[in-house]
Order: sequence, then C-alpha cells, then structure tokens
Amino acid sequence: MTDVHSTTSKAAPASEAADLDREATRPFGTGPAEAAESGSGGAPGGSATGAGWGRWAWRQLTSMRTALILLFLLALGSVPGSILPQQGSDPASVTQYFTSHPALAPWLNRLGLFNVFAAPWFAAIYILLFASLVGCVVPRTFKLVGSARTPPPRAPRNLTRLPQSVTYPSALPPDAAVDAAATVLGGQRFRLRRPAAGDAGHWLAAEKGYLREVGNLLFHLSLLGVLLSIALGGLFGYKADELVTEGQTFSDTTAQLAEFHPGRLVSGSDLAQFSLTLDKFTANYINSGASIGQPAEFNANVSYTTTPGGATKTDSIQVNHPLSVDSVKVYLIGHGYAPEFTVRGRGGVAYQEATPFIPANTNTMLSDGVVKAPSASLGFEGVFVPTAYMAGGTTLESIFPAANNPEVSLIGYSGNLGLNSGAPQSIYQLDTSQMTEIAGGPHLMTPGSTWTLPGKLGSITYDGTKQWVSLAITYDPGQIPALVCGILAIAGLLLSFFVRRRRVFVRALPGPDGVGSVVTVGGLTRTDASGGFEDEFANLAVDIADASSPSSPSSPSSPTAGPAASDDHQKPEPNNQSETGA
Amino acid sequence: MVFKAKRRTVVTTAAAVVVLLVAALVVTVFTHGNSSSASDDGNMVAYPAGHRPAAPDFAATSLTGAPINFASYRGKIVVLNVWGSWCAPCVGEGQTLKYLDEEYGPKGIAFLGDDIQDTPADALAFLRSAGITYPSVNDANGAVEQRLAIAVPISATPTTLVIDKTGHVAGVIEGAVTYPDMTTLLNDAAVTQ
Repeated sequence: MTDVHSTTSKAAPASEAADLDREATRPFGTGPAEAAESGSGGAPGGSATGAGWGRWAWRQLTSMRTALILLFLLALGSVPGSILPQQGSDPASVTQYFTSHPALAPWLNRLGLFNVFAAPWFAAIYILLFASLVGCVVPRTFKLVGSARTPPPRAPRNLTRLPQSVTYPSALPPDAAVDAAATVLGGQRFRLRRPAAGDAGHWLAAEKGYLREVGNLLFHLSLLGVLLSIALGGLFGYKADELVTEGQTFSDTTAQLAEFHPGRLVSGSDLAQFSLTLDKFTANYINSGASIGQPAEFNANVSYTTTPGGATKTDSIQVNHPLSVDSVKVYLIGHGYAPEFTVRGRGGVAYQEATPFIPANTNTMLSDGVVKAPSASLGFEGVFVPTAYMAGGTTLESIFPAANNPEVSLIGYSGNLGLNSGAPQSIYQLDTSQMTEIAGGPHLMTPGSTWTLPGKLGSITYDGTKQWVSLAITYDPGQIPALVCGILAIAGLLLSFFVRRRRVFVRALPGPDGVGSVVTVGGLTRTDASGGFEDEFANLAVDIADASSPSSPSSPSSPTAGPAASDDHQKPEPNNQSETGA
Repeated sequence: MVFKAKRRTVVTTAAAVVVLLVAALVVTVFTHGNSSSASDDGNMVAYPAGHRPAAPDFAATSLTGAPINFASYRGKIVVLNVWGSWCAPCVGEGQTLKYLDEEYGPKGIAFLGDDIQDTPADALAFLRSAGITYPSVNDANGAVEQRLAIAVPISATPTTLVIDKTGHVAGVIEGAVTYPDMTTLLNDAAVTQ
C-alpha cells in the first residue's frame, strides 16, 4: 500500500501535502484562517494608532480579567449600600444620620453613598460589566455560528497517520468506492465534503458532532438571555412591603404600601390592582421540650380581590407558600402583636386603633410600640409581653411567644407631638422633646383595663390584642425567563460536554493491477476520554467496507488492515495508535 | 484571509453597536429615574384642558356614615385630598386646606377628603381638633384611593387632586399642599373646553 500512496504523494507538491495534513487536524470548530490567527493579541500597534488603541481598549474591556474585576467592584460598591442608611429604603434614617454626623454626611452624600444603587459611579461599573459581558459573548456567538457552518477540511494525503485508520481493497473502481462510502456516512448523518471540480484524487471528508457547537451556542445565547432577564426584572419588576393588622385591608397602590421599591420603568399605575384583607393570623409554637417557644407553624388567612370591586377569594399564606395574585407573589415575612387601645381626651375619643408593636425579641415576642393621640395631646410609649412574668417582682418579662397572658406597660406623655410641623415622622417613634411625662408610669395594664390619667388629661383603655403580619409583594417578570435561560444554558453546556466532533476521511486509489481500488478510511476526534469513538469508527469502517465490496456484502473477503495490523484479520480492524489513554 | 479579517471587523462592530445601544438604554433609564422626593412641599402636576384624565366615579360612605356619591359632585370644581391622621405631612397641611375651604367654599368649590389606612375615631378626632368641616370618605381599605391611582399617579400620602366641572383631573399635588400651588390649580381648573 505504501508505494501506491507515495506515488500519489509525488503527484502533488510536498508543501501542499503538508498544508493539507495540517488542515485535517486543525482545531475542531475553527476555520482555517481563524486557526492561523488564533494566538494573536497583545499591545496596540499598527499604523492607524487611533483604531489600534480603540481595538486594544475594546479587547481589554471584553477580557475575562476585566469582567472579574468589574464584578468584584460591583460587590465592593454594594457594601456601603448595606452599611449606610439608603434614601430609597429608609429616608428617615438618612435624615437622622445627617443630624448625628453633620460634618461627614454631606461628603458621603456628594459621593452618592446614601443612594448607592442609583449613584453614577455604580451605574458606570454596572454598564461596563454589561458591556464587557456582551462584548465577550456576542463575538463568540458569531464565531460559533461560523464554526457550526464550516465544512469539513479536505482529506489529508496519508490517512494511515491518523489516530484511527484502516485500509482494504475494493472490487469497485475508486469513484464508486468513495460514492459507496459517502452513502454510508451520509446515512449516518455525517456532513460530507467531496473534491471540488478539477481536484485530483478520489476522496471524501465527513464530519459529525456539530451539535457540540449548537450546545456551545445555546450556552452563550442563554447566558445573554439570563442577563437580559435580570435587566427585565430590574426595569419592570417591583418589590414592596406592607404591614397589615387582622381585620385590616390594603390596596396595592404606591401610597398605601409601607415600602415600595419600583423597577426603573415602573410607575404607580403599573401595579397589580388587587386588595387584600388579613382575616386571621395563627402562630403555633412548640410548648414543651428542649425547643420550647420555637415557632411550629404560621398561617395567615386572607381574602382578596384581583380588581377593584371584583369577586372576593380566600386563601392562606404560609412561610414559603406565597399567594399568587395577578402574576404578583405575596410572601409572609414577619408577624407581631397589635394591642388595641382607646384614648379619650377632653374632647372625647381621640384614638381607637389596633397599634402594631415591633418585636424587640423574636423568641419571646416582647415588643415595643407607641400610641399617638395628637388631638388629645397625648402620647404613650409601651412594651407588650404576650406571656407576662414579673422577674423579681419588678421587671416585666415575656416567657413564651404566644399571647397566653398578655400585658402592656405604658409610659404616658402629654404635650405637643410635633406632628403639626408636617415633617414626616415614624409611626413607631414618639417625639417627646415637647412633651412632659405623666406621673404613674410605667403603668401595667391587662386586657380590658383602663388607666385614668391624672390631672383630667383623659384615659387610655387596653381593649384587647390583635396580630399583624408583614407581607412582601414582589413582581419579577424576569424570573421565568431567567429560569428557562438558566436551564437552557446548562443543557447547552452538557451538550457541548458530551457531544464530540469527529471526522472520518475516505481516500480511494486505483487497485495495483488497474482493477478495483484500494480504500483507506481514517478517523479523528478531539477528546475521546470515554473511548466511544474507537467503537464507532470500527463499526463505520466495517459498514463502509461492506458497502464498497458488492461481491461479498456480508463481510469484506480479505481486507488489509493498516500498518500495525497483521494479515490474518478477517475484518478491518481499527489501528489504534494514540488517544487510547487520553 | 482578507475576507475573514473583514468579517471579524463586522462582528466586532456589531458587538460594539449592541453594547452602545444597551449602554444608551441603561443611561436613559438611569437619568429618567423615579425622582419622587418626599419633601415638605409637594410636587405639582397640571394637566391642560383637553388633556385631563377622567376622575373615576365612586360610591362610598363618609367617616360619619353618610353616603357619598362622587358623581353628584359633577358641575363643581372639587378638591379631593387623600390623607390619614397617622401621616404628619397630612396633619401639617390641615390648616392650609381649612383656610382654602373657608375662602373657596362659598365660591362653589367643593372640598372632599379621602381618609386612607385609618380608623374613623382617629380621623374624626383630628378633624375636630383642626376645625375642618368638609366631609371625608372612610377609605380604610384604600379602595377609592386605588381607583384614583389608576387614573392619575399617586405616589405618596398626602396627595391632592383638583377636579374640574366636567369630572376631569386638572392637577395633582403630591405631598403637602401650599397655598400658591392650590390657587394656581384652582384657577387652571376653572378653564375647561
């Protein structure tokens, strides 16, 4: 065989043969020119300096290193956002920070540290990161599309040098033998390449496993999809918090939500038009054993309407079991007690409300709150305990989180509550700077009891106890797309891991005595850790040999195997020169 | 090779264009912003005649239990104030609204409150102490406010709407009202097409 092969080699210039061999083993998934260009890079240069520097800057921006640095900066930039009070979420604390740090606060404000996520420098990092990722992924996508469309390389001269090869004589003339092989490989859905018109020789190049590039492409496109989904959520989604007491209703509007964090393109009229009533909240606690007092179950029974004036539906919201209403999810994120008070001043009832108290200790649900009755010039600071216990006869403590023995301890104040100035103030804080403490505090009260204030100031009655829940209302239109893109990205990654690009070449030369032909089949794959290609190639070689030997369709009569194979083989045996231990 | 190099340039240019478009979008969005400042003085929005959103009709009860049918206010300029006794800026603007009511009420301008997330006891105690006599809707569950918010943006409490004689919103003040802003809106509202 070798002498036949060498004669054909002489027909073509030696350099061309070397080129062809190099092309056959060029990296999978790259075009010939790209393979030659790969590895270029480095400093800007060239005659057109401006364009050179521009290209250099672009290459730096879209490099993996830059993306990682930007990601790190983004994380670093978010740190002040969690340490310092933020204008968007807690404007009252920002004001407080200004009064307590009069020298530092204006400087922090100039740097945008009270509104980090809207600061220009934060936007700069975000935009650069986005640009870096897009600039990396988009060209790569084009490249992958190109490589998925690249035809197989030309068959190399010497197929026996390939990792897998087999040679056998065929009764068919060379062109018919190659045609027969093409039918077999085409039937196996290989992409085929035949010599162009005018090319010498009878050969066939076949490549399979383009799904690998499809997987790669899918992965990169899905990555872009994830980015866009996150942007979608950031632009059109919103998050809001609301505190509702049993029996209370709220409607999903900007003015009624306690906290509202809209996406960049969300306005108040985009909110889902539902309203929700908290009918009853139940909390069950473990009442014996080592974990006594630990919560066992929370359940908020709610009724809601999806449109103003629509039909009322009921549901129950539990932890990790949100209510879905109009593509918005309503999560139960907190709970507490709301003692009901009636305050009477000189002009009659000045205040009658279940007043949410905020838990100071979530294990015992000892809670703090204030009552403001500005029209009676009265205010109260209170501590609520669900299961009261007098430690040492003097200190009020709570020994269990359930309202088994609720008591309230109040300190009363009379005077100006400061509400008339119009400056916003927290409903959980009492400004006592213009008030005087009423004698008799702290005054301990049980449900139903009334504290008649001295000096005919009025009275306060502790009517009973309700509970409140805090709800998180979230709308994220990017959630589902992000999930789908994430799954597709993983699917694409798996596809590109498990599908191999593999090439099979067939070359037929006229038989030694001018009858029939000598056919060589060679195979090549990139990585074959599982060794699957060996078997696939062996089967293909047998099929090709069968097809090109019509005289004995069952098995080729006396195939001559590759150089390493001995003559007594009945069937073509693949010649395993390398990659066995890969 | 030349062809390949050209294609690379095209690809790079395409990527750069995509990036620039996204950057432009992000910058636009960032500068667009939601600049709802919770300052003491409210932000005023005036709608010119012919471009006024229709105010929704509603039927509700007042804090004292009397029925309120908003449709019956048609033919009058209405000042509709969304408020709550728990809200300090609402308490702060109370005297301005009372003064406006005393000045413009005799001229045929109607004043109506929409008391949200409140209890009638708290609200009536405030109205009594402030000397405000115009009625307020008992809107504890916020249903009326929600209907209003669908028609015009209401981003905070208090928000005051001035509605013209044809039932269209002539202007909105978000945050506490000021006397000059209110007189401007009331003069605007007198002009209808």
